Amino acid sequence: MVGQTEKPPDPRWAWAAYEPDADRPWNLAQAGHLYRRAAFGANWEQLQQALSDGPQRTIDKLLRPQAETAQFNRTYDEYEAATGSVDQLRAWWLRRMIQTPHPLQEKMTLFWHSHFATNAAAVKNARLMQQHVGLLRGQALGSFRILLKGILQDPAVLLWLGAEANRKASPNENLARTIMETFTLGPDHCTENDIRNAARAFTGWFVLRSKLRYISREHDNGEKQILGRSGNFARDDVTRIILEQPATSRRLVQRLYRWLISETAGPDEALILPLAESFATDYDVLKLVETMLRSNLFFSPAAYRRRIKSPAEFALGIVKALEGTVSTTQLANDLADLGQNLYNPPTVKGWAGGQHWINSTAILARQNLASALLRGSGPYGDKLNPWGIAQKHGCATPESAQSFLLDLFLQGSFGPDVNDALLKTRGRQDDDGGGRTRSLAHAIVTLAEFHLA
Amino acid sequence: MSYTRRDFLKATLGASTMLSLASGAPNILVRAASAGAARRDDRDTVLVVVQLSGGNDGLNTVVPYADDEYARNRPTLRLQPKDVHKIDSYLGFHPRMEAFSRLYKEGHLSILHGVSYPNSDRDHDGAMRDWHTAEPEDPNCQTGWLGRAADSVWHTNRKDTPAVFVGPIVQPFGLRAEHVIVPSIQSPDDLTLDSTLGESQPSERFRADKDNPLLNHLRDCTANARANSRRIKAIAKAGASTAEYPAFRLAGTLRTVAQLIRADVGIRIFFTELGGGGIGGFDNHANQLGNHCSLLGHLSESLAAFVYDLEKDKLLDRVLLMTISEFGRTVKENGRRGTGHGVSAPIFLAGGKLKGGRTGSHPSLTDLDNGALKFHTDFRRIYATVLDRWLGFKSRPVLGRQFEPIDVLNV
Amino acid sequence: MSLKFGSLLTLVLAFFVLQSVAAGQTMPAATQWIPGDAVISLELAQPKVLLDLLAGKKASAFVKALPAYQEQASKPQFQQFLAILGYMESELGTDWRRALARLTGGGITLAICPEETVILIVDAEDEQLLKRFGEMLLEMARSEAEKKGQPGRVASTQYRDVTAWTFDGKEAHAIIGKRLVMASRPEGLKAVLELRAETWGDNLASKKDYRAAKRQLSRGGDNAVATVFADLKLLMQAPNIAGLLKQQGENPLAALAFAGIVEAMRDSNWLGLGLAIEDQTLICRASVDGETVARTSPASFALPKEPGEGALPNLIVPRRIAAFTLYRDLHQFYAAKDDLFPERTSGLIFFENMMGIFFSGRDLTNEVLAQTRPEIRFVVAEQQFDPAIGTPIVKLPAFAMILRLRDEEQFDEVFEEAWQKAIGLVNFTRGQQAMPGLIIDRPIHNDTKLTVAYFSTAEIEDKTELAQRFNIRPSLVMPGDYLVLSSTDSLARDIIDALGREIERTVKPLAQTHSLLELEGVQLASILQANRQTLVRGDMVKKGSTQEEAEAGIDLLITLAKLLESLKLSIGMHEGTTEAGLEIKLNL
Repeated sequence: MVGQTEKPPDPRWAWAAYEPDADRPWNLAQAGHLYRRAAFGANWEQLQQALSDGPQRTIDKLLRPQAETAQFNRTYDEYEAATGSVDQLRAWWLRRMIQTPHPLQEKMTLFWHSHFATNAAAVKNARLMQQHVGLLRGQALGSFRILLKGILQDPAVLLWLGAEANRKASPNENLARTIMETFTLGPDHCTENDIRNAARAFTGWFVLRSKLRYISREHDNGEKQILGRSGNFARDDVTRIILEQPATSRRLVQRLYRWLISETAGPDEALILPLAESFATDYDVLKLVETMLRSNLFFSPAAYRRRIKSPAEFALGIVKALEGTVSTTQLANDLADLGQNLYNPPTVKGWAGGQHWINSTAILARQNLASALLRGSGPYGDKLNPWGIAQKHGCATPESAQSFLLDLFLQGSFGPDVNDALLKTRGRQDDDGGGRTRSLAHAIVTLAEFHLA
Repeated sequence: MSYTRRDFLKATLGASTMLSLASGAPNILVRAASAGAARRDDRDTVLVVVQLSGGNDGLNTVVPYADDEYARNRPTLRLQPKDVHKIDSYLGFHPRMEAFSRLYKEGHLSILHGVSYPNSDRDHDGAMRDWHTAEPEDPNCQTGWLGRAADSVWHTNRKDTPAVFVGPIVQPFGLRAEHVIVPSIQSPDDLTLDSTLGESQPSERFRADKDNPLLNHLRDCTANARANSRRIKAIAKAGASTAEYPAFRLAGTLRTVAQLIRADVGIRIFFTELGGGGIGGFDNHANQLGNHCSLLGHLSESLAAFVYDLEKDKLLDRVLLMTISEFGRTVKENGRRGTGHGVSAPIFLAGGKLKGGRTGSHPSLTDLDNGALKFHTDFRRIYATVLDRWLGFKSRPVLGRQFEPIDVLNV
Repeated sequence: MSLKFGSLLTLVLAFFVLQSVAAGQTMPAATQWIPGDAVISLELAQPKVLLDLLAGKKASAFVKALPAYQEQASKPQFQQFLAILGYMESELGTDWRRALARLTGGGITLAICPEETVILIVDAEDEQLLKRFGEMLLEMARSEAEKKGQPGRVASTQYRDVTAWTFDGKEAHAIIGKRLVMASRPEGLKAVLELRAETWGDNLASKKDYRAAKRQLSRGGDNAVATVFADLKLLMQAPNIAGLLKQQGENPLAALAFAGIVEAMRDSNWLGLGLAIEDQTLICRASVDGETVARTSPASFALPKEPGEGALPNLIVPRRIAAFTLYRDLHQFYAAKDDLFPERTSGLIFFENMMGIFFSGRDLTNEVLAQTRPEIRFVVAEQQFDPAIGTPIVKLPAFAMILRLRDEEQFDEVFEEAWQKAIGLVNFTRGQQAMPGLIIDRPIHNDTKLTVAYFSTAEIEDKTELAQRFNIRPSLVMPGDYLVLSSTDSLARDIIDALGREIERTVKPLAQTHSLLELEGVQLASILQANRQTLVRGDMVKKGSTQEEAEAGIDLLITLAKLLESLKLSIGMHEGTTEAGLEIKLNL
C-alpha cells in the first residue's frame, strides 16, 4: 500500500496492469478490495482462492466466469417472468446478486440501473420493468452502443420520460434532453437547439398497449441540425452522432471511474482521456472494466476504501461473507428505507451516492439492518450464522473468531482501541459462542471502515 | 460545533439518568430536565407540514355562515350559524373545530384565505403533484420542494438528516430529493439504535483519518447517530407520561414529531399526513357531512394537543406548522351529499411566532372559477415565506424564482 | 450428555404431558395447591384419551413419515436426545413409555402465575419410581454443575417439613409422596408449600371464578380430557394483549368479522376451555362469563335479535375450501362507524364515493345497507379451468358473498344497475390506461340470469400461462331474495344450485350463532398443490430458503392440510354468555 503521491499519477502507470511486487504485494486486503468492487464482497473460500490464484487469474474469473451464467440467468428470468409485481422483481434481483456465478455482471447491471435511471412507480408495468433491467443485464458488460440503442427503443424508458407519444406536431423534448444531457454527452456539451432537433428526429415512435410502435406519418422528415451536422436524421442517426462525440465516451469513463475506482475527487482529465479514446473506438464495456480492474491505480491507495458502499453493497457484503441467503423481500424493503429502492431510483439522474448515502439517520438505519440480519431471530430468522462460519473455517473459540471475522469482513489490522473494544463485546448470557459471535460480527460490520467499498 | 455537541451530549446523558430515576417524580421535574436537554439555538426552527389528502372543503372548514349563497348552495351540507364557532359576523369554524377556535383566539393559529395557483389542476394526482413539486408548469419535474430544500442545505450540515416523513403511508413526493435521503418513520423508535446485539462498538470519535474524507464523514455520522439515539430514548422515556394526545392516528404522529423536536436531533422539516394517502379521506364526493366532520375533529384536536405539548416545554416558538391540501371543493353540492374538486381553500398556520388572525379576504361565493372559489394567493408565496423567513433557507433556488413572502410571521 | 439441564427438563416434562394413565389418588386435588392468582391453568385429568389420538400408532406412523421428522432424526441433537433417553431407561430399570405412564398416572396440572412463575404438579402412580426419578434428576444436575465448576448450583433446603431442591437458584422442585411439584422460581414452590400447609393464601380450587368456569364446562358433560382456565382480568393487563385489543378502529373489515368477540373478552372475568375427543375428532369448547354485548353497544349489530335467529348454515358447493357464515346487521354496523372504525382512511372514503356513484346518490347507510338482511355468507372454492378459455399460472380460488335482500322486488334492479356501473367504471379506467377491459354477458342458469364480466382470451395464443386477472370472471346473480356476488360465474352457478336446494328445504338459522367458519383440509391441500410452484418460489424470496428447503416446507404444509379432514369454528351466545366451539376432525 505504498506509492501514493501528492501529484496526480502518470496515466501510463495508472492504467498499466498491476504486478505484485515487494512494495505492493498481493494480499488479503487487495483480494477483499477487488471483491468489494467487482462483486458484492467475498466469502472466506473466495478470499483464500484469490490469494493463491494471484490478481490476474482472480480478475479473469470475475470477468469471464467458467460457470453456467447463461443457464443461471435463464432460470432467474423465468422466476421473474412469473411474478406480477415490482416488489417481487426487487426481491428476485437481490437474490440474483447473492446467488449469481457472475457477480460482476449484476454489479454492472446496478451501475447501468443508476445511469439509465428508470422509475417503476412512473412506468406502472412490472413486465416492462423486467424487460428494462433485462436489457441492462444483457449489455452490462457488452456494448454501450447496443445498450443505448436498446434504451431508446425501450417502452419502460419512454413511459418514464413521458415520451409515449412522439408526435410530429409536438416532439417530446424531455426524451431528447435526458438522452443527451443525462445518459450521454452531459449538460455542457449540447445546446437547446440540438435537443429540439434530436426530439424531431425521435418523432414517430409511440408506446401503444405497452409495445413500441412506429407511425411513419408522425415522423418529421425535415432537415435537422444536431451537434454540427445536418440531414434528415432519424432515431438511429442521433445515437450514431452522439456516440461520435468525444464528450460521450469521456463522460461514461468518468462515471465508471467513480463506480470502480474512487469517488473522493473528480479524476484528472489526463487520467480519463486515454481510456475515453480507447472506449470511443468500440464502446466495449467489458474491455473498459477490465482495464480499470487490472490497473495499478485500482490497486493503489488512491482507490483503496475510496468509495462508500451503497445500501445493497453494505447488506450483501454481510450476507456474502457469511455464505447465506436471506429473505430478499424483506431486504428490498429495508434497502428502500436506506435510500436505495431498487427499480425506483429517485430521479432520472439515478442515486447520487457517495457521501449522500450517509448521514446520522442512515448510519443508524444501517446499524439496525445489520442487527436484524445478524441477531438470529426476527424477519431474517437465523439464516446467517457467524459462529458456524467461524467454526467451519477452523475457529475453536469465540476469541479466535474475532480475528477471523476481522479478516473476513475488513481484511485489515486495527489499532488496540478497536481490538480492545471488540474484546469487550459480550453476547447473551450462558451461550456457547453463537451469541457472542453475533455481537462481535455486528460490532465489526458497524465500524466506519465496513461502510467503505 | 464539536465542542457544543459534546456539551449537549453531557447535558442529555445527565438528563437521561435523571429521567430514568424520575418515573415517580412530578411532571414538572421531568419537563424541566427534558427542556434543559434541548439546544437553545433560535436559528434551528422547525417546519411541520400536515397534508390533508383528498382536497379539503374549505367552505365547510372556515364557514361563511352568514352568506345566503352558502346556505343556497349547500342544501344538505350546510352548517348552521348557531353551531359554528364564530370568528366574526361572517365566518366561523366548523362545529367540530372548537380546538381551532381556541388556538385562533390565543394567536397560535392563522388563516390564509384563497390559496391555490394559476390554471390549477382538478385531478388529484396532478394537483397534489403540483403542490409537491411547486413546479406546476413542469410536468416532468422529478423532485419535491422540500426535497430540494433539503438538498439546498446539504453542504452546510452533512451529518444530520434535514427532513423526515412521519406516517404509515408511502412517502409523499414533496420530500423527493435528488441527493439527500429522506427517511420515513412511524415512531421515535425508528430513529434509535437496536441494542439486541450490544452497544460496545469502539468509539468513532477519536479515530480521525486525515487522508480519507469519506472515513471521517462516516465516523462523524456514527458518533452523531449514537448521540441522537440516546437523546431520543431519553425523551421517549420522559414524554410518555407528560403529554396528553387524543387517540387519533394524526395525534400519534404529531406526538412523535413533538418528541423528535424535543430530542433536538437536527431535523428541520417534518412531513405528516391526514386522510390515509391515496386519493385521500378529504375527497368527499358522497356523504360528506359526517366524514368531513370526523376528519376536522381529528385535525383540530390533534393539532391543539401538539401545540399545547410544545408550549408547555417552551418549544412552540421554534415550531411552525402548516396545512396543505391539493384543492378546495365546489361551492355547490353534487346531489350525492358531497362536493366536487375545486380550486382555492384556506391554509392554516400554527405555532408560537405568528402574527395571528386572518390574511386575505374570503373569496366570493358568486364570482366563481367554474363552480369553485377563486384564488388570490399563490401557494408558492407561502412556501417562499416559510423557506426564507422561517427556516432561513434560500427560497429562490428551491422554487426556481423569487415569490413575494407574506407577512404572517413574528420574526 | 452435554445438553443443557434446562432443556432436558423441558423434554422430560413434554413426555409427562404425553404419557399417563388414570389412577386413584388420596391427596387433595392439585388445584388446591395452586395459588389463587394463577393467570392460566391447564389440567390434564385423562391424558390417555388424548394420547391414543396424538401419540397412538396411526399418529406416530404419520409423524415418522414426515420429511421434516426424518430430517430432524438425522441430526446429531436427535441422537443425543435418544442417548439421554437410553440412559434414563437404564437408570429407572424400565422403558421410557412405561416409566412415564407410571410417573404421571394421577394427572398433570400446569399453572402460569404472575411474574413469569410456572408451576407444574404431576401425580405419579408409583411412589418408588418417582423417588428414583427424582434422585436421577439430582444426580444429572450435580454432574452438570460440577462440569461447569459450580457444584453449589444444586442446593436443598427444608421448608414446612419438605425437602425442596433448587438448581442454580432458579428452578425448584420437591417430591411429596406420589406428587412432584416443580416451579420455575423458588417463590412458586414456596407458595405451593404454604397452600399445602394451609397457612397462607387462597388456592385456585376455592376461587369463585374458577368454580364458575368449571361448572360451565361440566355442563357439556364430563368427558373433557383437558381443561384450561384463564383469569381474563389479570390476562388483559398484559401489555401486548391490551395493545392487541385496542387495535381496532383502523380496519372496518376486522371490526365486522370479529364483532362481539373483543367486547366479550374485555367484559369477562374468566375464560374456560374444555377439550374432548370423540373418535378422531378434537372438540374444543370455550366460554367466557361476561354478559353478551349490550343492545346499545356499537357491536350489537352482531347480536341475533330473536331467540330463533342466527347465522344461516353454510352453503355446500363442489370443491369447497372454506365457508363462513355470519349474522351481521350491516345497516346497524355502518351507522356505528364513528365508534367502530373512527379513522377516515382513503380506502373508506373511496368506497363511499363509489357507492354514491353506483347507487345514484342513495344514502349508503339508510338507503342501501338497510335493504340487506343480517345473514351474510362467504364461500371459497377451488376453480376448474376450461383449457379452451385458458389456465392462469397462479390459480386463485373462487370466492363469493351471499346476501339476502329485504325487498328484492324493488331493489333487484337497483343492484343490477350498480353492478353494471361498477363494471363500466373498471372498463373505463382500464381503457384510459390502454388495458383490455371486461366483456359483459348475461347467460341463464336454472332460470336465473347471471351478469358475468370476463376478459377475453381469444387473442392470446398460449392459453396455458395466463396472467392473474384471468382468475376473475366477476358475476352477479339474484335468485329469489338472495344477492350473490361471485368472483367467477362457475361458482355463481354452483351457488344458484345450492340456494335452490336451500329454498326447497327451507333451512333454519343456527339459533344464536353469529359466526361459523368451516374449512375442508383435502380441498385446501388440493389448491396448495395446484399452486405448489408459485408457493415454493414465493417462499424462496420471502424466507431466503433454498429451493429444496422451500419445497420441503410447502410439502409439509400440504401434508398437514391433508391431515386435517375438516375444521369448524363457531361463535355465539348461550344463555347469556358468549361461547366458542372448535371442532377439528383429523384424517389419520
